[in-house]
Amino acid sequence: MNVIHTENIKKTYNPDTIPVEALKGVDLSIKQGEFTAIVGPSGSGKTTLLNIIGGLDRPTEGYIEVGQKDISKLSDNQLIDFRRENIGFVFQAYNLIPVLTAKENVEFVMLLQNRSEDERNARTIELLEAVGLGDKIDSRPSQLSGGQQQRVAVARALAPKPTFILADEPTANLDSKSTANLLDIMARLNKEENITFVFSTHDQRVIDRARRVITLEDGVISTDIQQHN
Amino acid sequence: MNTLFKIAWRNVWRSRLRTFVILGAIILGVWAVIFITSLSNGMVKSYINNAVQTEVSHIQIHHPDFLKDRAIEFSVGDADKVLASIQSTKGVKAVTKRTLTNAMLSSSKGARGVQVKAIDFNREKEVTNIATKVIEGEFFEEKGRNPILISRRIADKLKVKVRSKMVLTFTDLSGEVTAASFRVKGIFNTGIAPFDEANVIIRQEDLNRLLAPEAVLINQAPDQKFDVESLTHEFALLVNDTKLVDEIAGDIEFQFPHLKVQTFRQVSPELELYETSIGLTGMIVMTIFMLALIFGIINTMLMAVLERIKELGMLMAVGMNKRSVFSMVVIETLMLGLIGTPIGLFLGYLTVTYFGNAGIDLSSYGEGIEGFGMSTMLYPSLENSLYIQLAIGVFITAILGSLYPAWKAIRLKPVEAIRSL
Ligand SMILES: Nc1ncnc2c1ncn2[C@@H]1O[C@H](COP(=O)(O)OP(=O)(O)OP(=O)(O)O)[C@@H](O)[C@H]1O
Ligand SMILES: [Mg+2]
Repeated sequence: MNVIHTENIKKTYNPDTIPVEALKGVDLSIKQGEFTAIVGPSGSGKTTLLNIIGGLDRPTEGYIEVGQKDISKLSDNQLIDFRRENIGFVFQAYNLIPVLTAKENVEFVMLLQNRSEDERNARTIELLEAVGLGDKIDSRPSQLSGGQQQRVAVARALAPKPTFILADEPTANLDSKSTANLLDIMARLNKEENITFVFSTHDQRVIDRARRVITLEDGVISTDIQQHN
Repeated sequence: MNTLFKIAWRNVWRSRLRTFVILGAIILGVWAVIFITSLSNGMVKSYINNAVQTEVSHIQIHHPDFLKDRAIEFSVGDADKVLASIQSTKGVKAVTKRTLTNAMLSSSKGARGVQVKAIDFNREKEVTNIATKVIEGEFFEEKGRNPILISRRIADKLKVKVRSKMVLTFTDLSGEVTAASFRVKGIFNTGIAPFDEANVIIRQEDLNRLLAPEAVLINQAPDQKFDVESLTHEFALLVNDTKLVDEIAGDIEFQFPHLKVQTFRQVSPELELYETSIGLTGMIVMTIFMLALIFGIINTMLMAVLERIKELGMLMAVGMNKRSVFSMVVIETLMLGLIGTPIGLFLGYLTVTYFGNAGIDLSSYGEGIEGFGMSTMLYPSLENSLYIQLAIGVFITAILGSLYPAWKAIRLKPVEAIRSL
């Protein structure tokens, strides 16, 4: 089953002034349970593509379906609701609300969804333990290392049981040990719970861990290969 | 909702310095509004009280024509009966009667036109505070012949002292010009310059005797028996509760339909004007404060929003809807108001209560202030309703001030917000 399906996605920034064609026709299908890396040189359109798939931005042209739903017709407010229910985000930085503890951050989206307290508590603890932070539940982001913060972000992204997780360069600010650690956790969640991950990266060690590697070059997909690792 | 409050509350304390600055502004502003308004209230009240206690009283009663003409023949007939009736009217605290006429007051050094207030001095003490305003010499007693009280101002102008001899010249009831000599018994200073400039005070029995000499009494028709003792132009009275003054006036008017009954607001329309000005001053001071505050709040909250662009973008990216983001900014602002306002109100209340009891001594500015009919001790006072108005005012200001920053926050596009690394 496809969780993401796009046809001929194009994106032009500043169409009226200095147009920049960031995506020039991307056809892409991602299935449930994939562990996919999007790679490519800087400026090739990785972030643009992830933003469009994630419903954060709209394509200039083309068709996009997420979880069998055409999202191109949704209003801004509907998109916010859609993202909340369907997509988990892990950004490069600024993932967490600084005034909330790790536990509260993970709980946050579930609160927006009005989940019951018991459910929230159970899932928050479970997820924070899954990312190896069972002992940090009451720490504020400022009391956590960059790697720990990214792991909280992964837990937070998983909390609302999204259709898939999008991560734009989640390891860009991490050292190699934290990178390996985060990748371990993501790979394990993917394997054990069949969670779909789509992430962009520049890091060869991260690319090596992916099972599918899609390379963007100048706004189009140049290669799309399955890896066995 | 709970989460919003929790996040908003913690956000308030994120930038402590900024929070303290805006809180300080709110507290100081609220305090200042209270203090300034209470000072101006205190001044106006002191002015009104002074005027009421020294000059106007709560209700005055005259022959209707006397008010047009001030001619001595327009006296109130059966004055003793009228007095007794007024005295027994419900809500009346004390009443006094007066004979009034215009006269020329002369000393060896000069002369000036004055209004003669001839008072029933024992009753007068119950109604006005004139007896307490005597700063030199003494107030009237039963004994003594033709004593007169004059003001400091007149005494200085006519260069007389206590015990000096003066002559009052006026027209009596028969139309003859009469002169009588008086001896200065005391010198008063009411603090109300116009009053002091114009009035001299003598005993009612003395004036009545002079106004109605033998000739008048002999010539009068038998059916209009003239009672010298009770010749009266004016009744002045105090009520127990000023709120009931209109009802009591109505009551008296009902008993004496042929007399003109006026409350202090009608006697001195400017007093009513001042009364309304109490509320107005509060409003104006409050409006100025709220205008200043609204810019302070917009500025503060805008900074708080702009500083958190990425975070707000992230919140919207992960599914916090615009309504919640908007509410969060508004709630944050309201929290500032909710912390600051009670503190400001409390400090203001303490200040007003303290100075309301202790008073503020303005005697170093005394000369100028007394000229305006205010006493030199100022007692700030405030209606309780102003505290409530102020609390509501800050609340509304906080909401208004938060709208623009909140609107800015929801206009952020998550992609752009996150990208702006
Ligand atoms: N908001 C924008 N306005 C104008 N041009 C933009 C905007 N965002 C991206 N671009 C341009 O679109 C192209 C694709 O950018 P994008 O950020 O998707 O690349 P990327 O592959 O994520 O790069 P990197 O590896 O550096 O993150 C680039 O040429 C970039 O300059
Ligand atoms: Mg990028």
